Amino acid sequence: MTDSNTSEISAATDTTRRAALVALFISIAAIGVGYAAAFTRSGTPTWAPWLLALAIPVALGAIMILGAARGRSGIGPLKIPFGFVVLVLIIGFGAPLLLPATEGPLSKLWLGLPARAAIVIYGVGLLPIIVLPVAYALTFETQTLSAEDVERVRALAAEGGRENQASNGSAAQTPIDKLRA
Amino acid sequence: MIQVVGVSAVLQAALPNAARPAVVTVGILYFAVIVAISVWAARRTRTAADFFVAGKGIGLVALTVASVSVSVSGFAFIGGPGFIYAVGLGAMYIVLPAAVTNVMGAWVLAKRMRLIGEARALITIPDAIGARYRSRAAQGLSAAAILVGIVGYMATNALAMGVVINSIFGVGLGWGIWIGMGVTLAYSASGGILAGIYNDVFQGTLMAVASVLVFLFVLNFGGGLGEISRTILAHDAAILGPWGKLTPLAALSFFFVFSMGSLGQPQAVHKYYMLRDPLQLKWYPLLKTLGLALVLLLYFGVGVGVKAFVLSGRLPALGSPDQATPTLLLNITPLILAALVFSGVAAATMSAANSFINIGAAIVTHDLPIALGRPVRNELRWGRAMTIVIAVAAAITAQRSGTMVAFLGIFGWGLFASTLVPALAVGLNWQGATRAGAIASIATGLIVTLGLETAAYSKVFTFPAGVTASAVAMVSSFLVFFIVSWLTRRHAHAELDPDVKLVMEL
Repeated sequence: MTDSNTSEISAATDTTRRAALVALFISIAAIGVGYAAAFTRSGTPTWAPWLLALAIPVALGAIMILGAARGRSGIGPLKIPFGFVVLVLIIGFGAPLLLPATEGPLSKLWLGLPARAAIVIYGVGLLPIIVLPVAYALTFETQTLSAEDVERVRALAAEGGRENQASNGSAAQTPIDKLRA
Repeated sequence: MIQVVGVSAVLQAALPNAARPAVVTVGILYFAVIVAISVWAARRTRTAADFFVAGKGIGLVALTVASVSVSVSGFAFIGGPGFIYAVGLGAMYIVLPAAVTNVMGAWVLAKRMRLIGEARALITIPDAIGARYRSRAAQGLSAAAILVGIVGYMATNALAMGVVINSIFGVGLGWGIWIGMGVTLAYSASGGILAGIYNDVFQGTLMAVASVLVFLFVLNFGGGLGEISRTILAHDAAILGPWGKLTPLAALSFFFVFSMGSLGQPQAVHKYYMLRDPLQLKWYPLLKTLGLALVLLLYFGVGVGVKAFVLSGRLPALGSPDQATPTLLLNITPLILAALVFSGVAAATMSAANSFINIGAAIVTHDLPIALGRPVRNELRWGRAMTIVIAVAAAITAQRSGTMVAFLGIFGWGLFASTLVPALAVGLNWQGATRAGAIASIATGLIVTLGLETAAYSKVFTFPAGVTASAVAMVSSFLVFFIVSWLTRRHAHAELDPDVKLVMEL
């Protein structure tokens, strides 16, 4: 791999990770502001739950992107499931805040629950289950971990062991070796 | 916190005496299986690596079921349904994060921890923090934070075991504590995490089966979810509101603490080291999420079901919300199903206790000595000895310290979250994170959590509705981590070893 390729990859990764870090920092700070607002004398302002409803999905999306970003592709095709889940969570938290509370004996039920509860239970609780783990499995080799990745790590670890052996003049011992001894 | 809330709930519930022949028989069979697995595992445990991380040789399915088992504890069976009974769907915000937490953990932590674990032969969470920041201080501080959390978890789980075993066998609380802790100790000390994992597999399977059967029974008895909802809406519609009887801020706060905080729970994160082949991680989140969904069916089903049955007069009014599950089991369900669930609750508490005993022993015999520059020579022997010390200390604390036990158990989840999530989860994915940022963040999490929880427990300070000490501590620790890392950023790259850097770039 040439130096220019390496720096290109590094730049793409850095952009994705930097954006995720900024989003994570801002969303955590926003959650903090939401909590701080609850300490005001007049009680929790109406915008405080909205701040959490927006910031929590963004924080979760950001930390997932931070973990999933790799190489030239950043998060590659994962931008679709990540975007979908962040949107589902924002809608799942926002819709109950927005819709009027009309639950009563005559409420129409959606899969056995009144509308606002159904949005939360089935939207927030079930839709991500269908999307995220499947996206993880389908992109595992390209986006997360391949046999080559594992070999690279093992080779580097072995190289480190050989260097230790050369410098110490004795057989290299990993912590596990020491434990087994 | 799922475990802690559950344990607290178990304590408050003072479970009714369920000692019927069927319940006792299933209970005895349950303990017989535990003993058999433990004997088998003890014969396979020969080294400290076997003892603490099962020699990194656990298969995908076993690891998944074990991980589900340690994630839920007794709360899914007792405290959770009671919480739904009391506050309605607001209680669901504790378990709804399970839809994202497993896969989030896989992306953020699993690959990197498994690979660093392989490259460096690591066996504990503080090991990973020490390797990431090349810092014995960070390793030692994170170990101390985990140990503080474990003290609380262990004491409360010991007491919960006593309550459940007393309920099944009618032997008295004191004997219940010692029998439960004795059995857990026997398999922890002899077979280490290997015994723990395979007992978790059995216990997790038992929990899932019991949960699904009870859920189906409740739906059938109530005429379907629609009928159950209609009954509740006719009497107390707020229960089925999107936040239940909680404020939106409180419900969302639960979601934040239980989703982001999951990345710092050592009993779950520690499992990433144990997978035999790192490529098997591919299916881990899917299997674990599905497994967790099955185990949590009872949480939702019994919570709303019992509410409807009580409102319609089919069940008597409850003495306390935590009586929801026992009342359903002892009044409506077939006795064999009740027996399965009671054994499931015992399984859940024992599984959690075993996991924490093992992690605590590793901290005392491995992390703290390394942090102090005095590594222990025979970690297997000392690990076994510490397992006994921790278990006995937990049982004595559970018996003697009264309400103090509940206090110790309150802050476990929040303490792990606020001390470990930024330094571990963000730190393993951001090369700009620094040793100073990690140490400051861990210290902030520890001080803020202990300070606020103590102030709240002693009623010196009251939080506004919806705000918890755990959430404030986690936000503080995140912000300190980012700010201190940014201020000390010129040191960041010098603190990374090549193998750690490679793993972070993959």
